Amino acid sequence: MAAASAIKAIHQTMLRAAQPARFVELSGMLIPWVAALGAAMFVAGLVDGLALSPPDYQQGETVRIMYMHVPAAWMGLFVYALVAGLGGLGLVGGHPLAFAAARAAAPLGAMFTAVCLITGSLWGKPMWGAWWVWDARLTSMLLLLFLYFGHIALSRAFDDPRRGDKAAAVLGLVGCVNLPIVKFSVDWWNTLHQPASVMKLGGPAIDPSMLWPLLLMAAAFKLIFFALWLVRTRTEVVGARLRAAASRSRMEGER
Amino acid sequence: MNFDAPYTIYILAAYGIGFVLLGGASLSAWRDWRRVSGAWARLNGRGGRGS
Amino acid sequence: MTRRRQRLILLGVGMAAVALAAVLVISALGDSLTFFYGPSDLLARPDAATHRVRLGGLVEPGTVSREGTMVRFTVTDGKSSLPVRYAGVLPDLFREGQGVVAEGRLTPEGGFVAETVLAKHDEKYMPPDVAAVLKKNGEWRAQQ
Repeated sequence: MAAASAIKAIHQTMLRAAQPARFVELSGMLIPWVAALGAAMFVAGLVDGLALSPPDYQQGETVRIMYMHVPAAWMGLFVYALVAGLGGLGLVGGHPLAFAAARAAAPLGAMFTAVCLITGSLWGKPMWGAWWVWDARLTSMLLLLFLYFGHIALSRAFDDPRRGDKAAAVLGLVGCVNLPIVKFSVDWWNTLHQPASVMKLGGPAIDPSMLWPLLLMAAAFKLIFFALWLVRTRTEVVGARLRAAASRSRMEGER
Repeated sequence: MNFDAPYTIYILAAYGIGFVLLGGASLSAWRDWRRVSGAWARLNGRGGRGS
Repeated sequence: MTRRRQRLILLGVGMAAVALAAVLVISALGDSLTFFYGPSDLLARPDAATHRVRLGGLVEPGTVSREGTMVRFTVTDGKSSLPVRYAGVLPDLFREGQGVVAEGRLTPEGGFVAETVLAKHDEKYMPPDVAAVLKKNGEWRAQQ
């Protein structure tokens, strides 16, 4: 009983925080702290990844590209799941903040996916001997980038922003099938890309001296994303208010 | 990091791309917010509607 | 609340349909999504003799030999192995005992002529001294 009422209280608090006016105020307080913590983690990850951590026994110094590449890949997948979830929330619940948050997150997810693809290419050329191959992992990751592009385009394609949001939400949900394909492509099919090193059964196949910079960078990317996402959602909310005020004053002018 | 190792240029390029894209996303997010919040403040200042 | 519930059910049914469609498509595509075949799989394929194919596996230790620009080595998957001929530059991660993907054709004599050779990296990351200790203690590749 106590748990149920606690959940209800948390839910009410979250609903209150998700009211657009309250959200702008709350996010304004949160953003500087999240951004500062993210920047600090980023610097720590850079120092550990570029200076303190050792070279790899096979790849030498080139292993350091991983500390950009892998966190960016995780963010690409995570943000897509977030965008799809927010789209579903918007479709079912009709909360205006859900669509605004999805619109704010999608370009950031595309950015992380692009970082993943470009840094991966820069690793592939010296290590594999090819900038790009059409194996299942690389191809599904490129598809993820195009799904992001589709989402961004659709959400801005209609004069009525609600229609665009709904169309983009449907695309986002359908595109979710690509997420397990990206993750498990290296296990289901023979790929040139190596299988998972960190998130695998039996624990990471990666030395702690190399796992640390990876996790630091992953935390930094998460925090930086969160800060930018809050800023962009706030921009969407105030932008919607501006549009509403503009149409109101136009109506008053006509009267 | 040993800068004399082979492929240093690839490592620097990878980090450079990361900086450019992350920095670009941060700058554009901040610029958009300044623009929108400035417009909102002007609207409320001039319109006298209060907030 | 009822409309919201209706939309939620609709969403669930839609997602289930999409997931089912994805499973069907992926299982229909089957191994055409595979980037390479091991020696045993490749020798079992009827079209392998006439098409450009990718051969993948481990470079069998002790089989790498060079004459000028020509490199010869044997690729194995533990069950069968294929001798490979390749004239060109090998990637840096090409090592004996490491993974490799060669693109080319089977020859009538039962060998493989590669046009490109890519190195395949495994999922292990460690500093050189850790690798040396593992090798010394005989724990190398023991976990596999």
